[in-house]
Amino acid sequence: MIRMKYLTAAAMGLALVLSACGNQPDQSNTVLKTAGSQLASIAKGGGARRKGKAPYAQVTQKQLENTKVPALQVNNETRGGSDILRLATRRNDSNPGRVAVWGGGGALQLFVRGGVLVGTRGIGGDIISADATSTIRAIAGARSGNGERRYFISDGAYGQVELVLSCDIETVGRSTTQVVHLSYATTHLRETCIGGANDNVRIVNEYWVQPSSGIVRRSRQWAGPLSGYFELILLRN
Amino acid sequence: MSQAKGSIVQQAIWKTQAKTLGFGLAFSAFGTFGALAQQGSGPDQVFNIPDRPTLNFYGSAGLIDMPSGEALPDGQFVIGVSNFGGSTRTTVTFQATPRLSASFRYTGIKEANIAGFETYRDRSFDIRYLINKESRVLPAVTIGLQDFAGTGIYAGEYIAATKTFAGAGRIPGTVKVTAGLGWGRLGSSGSIGTPFGGNRPAFDTSSSGGELSTDQWFRGPAAPFAGVEWQISDKWGVKAEYSSDAYDTEVRQGVLTRKSRFNFGAEYQYSDTVRVGGYYLYGSELGLNVQIQLNPKRSLTPLRTPAPDPVAQRPSRNANPDAWTTAWVGKPEAPTILADALKPRLAKQGLEFVALKVTANSAEVRYRNNTYPATSVAIGRVSRAMAQIMPPSVETFRIVTMSGGLAQSAVTIRRSDLEALEFDPQAADALLAVTGISEAAPRLENATINQDLYPDFAWSVAPYVKPSYFDPDEPLRLDGGLKFGATFKPAPGWTISGKVTHRLFGNVGDSLRVSDSLIEPVRTNAVRYAGSDTALDNLYVSKQWKPGQNTYARVTAGYLERMFGGVSAELLWKPVGSRLALGVEGNYVKQRDFSGLGFQDYGVATGHASAYYEFNNGFRGQLDVGRYLAGDVGATVTLEREFNNGWRVGGFFTVTDVSSEDFGEGSFDKGILLTVPQRWFLGTPSKQTSTTTIRPVQRDGGARLSVPGRLYEQVRSGHRNALEQNWSGVWE
Repeated sequence: MIRMKYLTAAAMGLALVLSACGNQPDQSNTVLKTAGSQLASIAKGGGARRKGKAPYAQVTQKQLENTKVPALQVNNETRGGSDILRLATRRNDSNPGRVAVWGGGGALQLFVRGGVLVGTRGIGGDIISADATSTIRAIAGARSGNGERRYFISDGAYGQVELVLSCDIETVGRSTTQVVHLSYATTHLRETCIGGANDNVRIVNEYWVQPSSGIVRRSRQWAGPLSGYFELILLRN
Repeated sequence: MSQAKGSIVQQAIWKTQAKTLGFGLAFSAFGTFGALAQQGSGPDQVFNIPDRPTLNFYGSAGLIDMPSGEALPDGQFVIGVSNFGGSTRTTVTFQATPRLSASFRYTGIKEANIAGFETYRDRSFDIRYLINKESRVLPAVTIGLQDFAGTGIYAGEYIAATKTFAGAGRIPGTVKVTAGLGWGRLGSSGSIGTPFGGNRPAFDTSSSGGELSTDQWFRGPAAPFAGVEWQISDKWGVKAEYSSDAYDTEVRQGVLTRKSRFNFGAEYQYSDTVRVGGYYLYGSELGLNVQIQLNPKRSLTPLRTPAPDPVAQRPSRNANPDAWTTAWVGKPEAPTILADALKPRLAKQGLEFVALKVTANSAEVRYRNNTYPATSVAIGRVSRAMAQIMPPSVETFRIVTMSGGLAQSAVTIRRSDLEALEFDPQAADALLAVTGISEAAPRLENATINQDLYPDFAWSVAPYVKPSYFDPDEPLRLDGGLKFGATFKPAPGWTISGKVTHRLFGNVGDSLRVSDSLIEPVRTNAVRYAGSDTALDNLYVSKQWKPGQNTYARVTAGYLERMFGGVSAELLWKPVGSRLALGVEGNYVKQRDFSGLGFQDYGVATGHASAYYEFNNGFRGQLDVGRYLAGDVGATVTLEREFNNGWRVGGFFTVTDVSSEDFGEGSFDKGILLTVPQRWFLGTPSKQTSTTTIRPVQRDGGARLSVPGRLYEQVRSGHRNALEQNWSGVWE
């Protein structure tokens, strides 16, 4: 009897380990599970919080000199860790500012329009689309400004929630921005946005802009409610 | 009743997990959203999910034993398990709308010699409605009916008001003050009179319950109750209340000593989801309350869909006119080349290529979505694959989602819109505005088809757990083992499928509850069906097709379910853009032997005419009118709410010409439907879901045949309403 019970338990245990198996296509999809990176770990949670934040990537002069293609370093402020993203494409459309899609070939992407983060993919709670026209204009001229920001944010399923914020962009001052071994003369802009239901949402973005070209060399930007803030460092444009 | 077996809903959820085992351990290690959020910009602020009130011993918003005037956040799904004085209450509460909530409760009272049971067990339903949302001046006010349709041991009504004070003076945290007036059970101690008069009949254990006790509501003595809740920090809170419940029945049965009207407790917020509390009640009893609160709007793990490749852009027509030539159409091998290029690209996205038809300026692709819970995501990915490989002259993309051989709908997207709107500030709305969603032809004539699709054979082995609820001797019985499934699809629309279960452990068959039915025992013989270890759950052949415009048809024959076999035919009318669908289903079935492949003598013609309607905010209603398995005639009303992420919570009831006496306990058939998608736990796209139906009691009246592959659910996901609900997925 005991033996019988043991066998039953063992068989059950085996069944649980095997879990469901079969050859139906919807049982598993390895393509979708290969996504893995530091930014994605935000959504996964767990580990980083318990063990403390993972350190940011430290790019060396040699590494940067050997990199011949555009590259963007993204540091995850909330969870720690970094990703270095390749440029997938650059596009012009009917809206002001040129869009750079960072994250070519990977499972996650950032859409950066004129230096401003206007979309994310594959992170969880993604920014589906955003209107940041007034911010983009201010940054292009490295000057202060104000206006409305409109986000459409994934609700964590396949729906979107609209978030309207009212933003002020102020000039903090001039400073030198260091990217690995290279120094850039930049203007520091700070954007403060308030909005949402009962003005519950407040975000602060910072940009270090090269006034000559309007290139945002370094920034700290809100990447959605689940991700918090990302630091974007343009290693090579 | 032991705590471990006490929670029927936990078991239901456990069953859900068991179906997705292998992932079960993962979600407990995941962080919660709150911790990720930056102050002031976290998900609750952005998605506008208000703070949740704490729960009382009845598993709804409240103090300790008394209710409060608050409502839970919209969509909140909570499980409360409380124990004190020999009573264990397990409650499931669903906040169906911002103001209306419903609860289902299973109670065990130890050694209460009520109605001759050693442990008295009962099921009860509550509803409550928020009359006034809390404002700066006015409190939140809720009116509630407790145990309004059962045998009535908890029957009571109340009106309660709660005001929140935060950041007032030097007191840290939040203080909530509640006052209310109760009737029935909640008016049994400290009555101030009978404001609405009337006599309230005493609790009657011999009644079979199930009928609305409208004659009792707000009748008899009323008594005030009050309490204070102080949430000191994020983690700790304390509560004190003055109860208006005399616990007459329990005191009379000697299960409880009531020395005081005051209750006190302390609660600890263990995680975002779980809160536990310890209490001292009625001057004599220690109590425990475990509160689990989930919101379908907040996944345990946020869904991450791997980023798609950016939409490929065509070369400019002016700069490269040669690329725009239509000469390729003249080459007979062109469609095959395009189809061969498309197939692996779709496969890489977890999609299956079915057919392609191209002309110089348009292309129609038919495909199957085996991966994405929202059809819109699949459509977005098919359109990107098309943009990658179609010659530049192809401007119109028609994308047809196929499900079980049925063409759900045709989504028409202009390629230039796709190219122009990917990074538009309002990408989803802008694309939807220029997208056509229309009827798809049953077949695509002269198309290049995927020759690998048929014949198709699929098999599976998986563990299963099958619970049986509410046997008075053993409230939860469980069978578990392995299920083996095999499906053969020889041609489009044809399915030959079977499922065998082999039980490895279980006690469902041990029940002594044999059928005492006064009508044909079509469902109450479940115990006898549980007698054999190996059983053929179903084995059938079915054919489904689109006979014409907006219509879908199905014919199925074989062992349709564990208890019945026979033939079934269904016709569904569901225009792509319509919220309304109509269907008819006719079946002739015979009752199967308790074991083996034979049939018993009982046979019945059963069938229904059905109307389905999609309301706003994910609410869906269904009305089925017809003849049920026991030959009784009547109707079933089902109302269900579906959330974007695939959670579905609903309820149903059936009224037939079987009298409540003949029906037996419960008077009529009713129950709760709960569907939890696997992706809510895992955060990866998957179409897998687990559905649980919980009936307070399974009788023979109003029992409907269970036919595999009913049409409505197969068709709906590709129609306009479902597509629009999840349209932003097209860019994900």
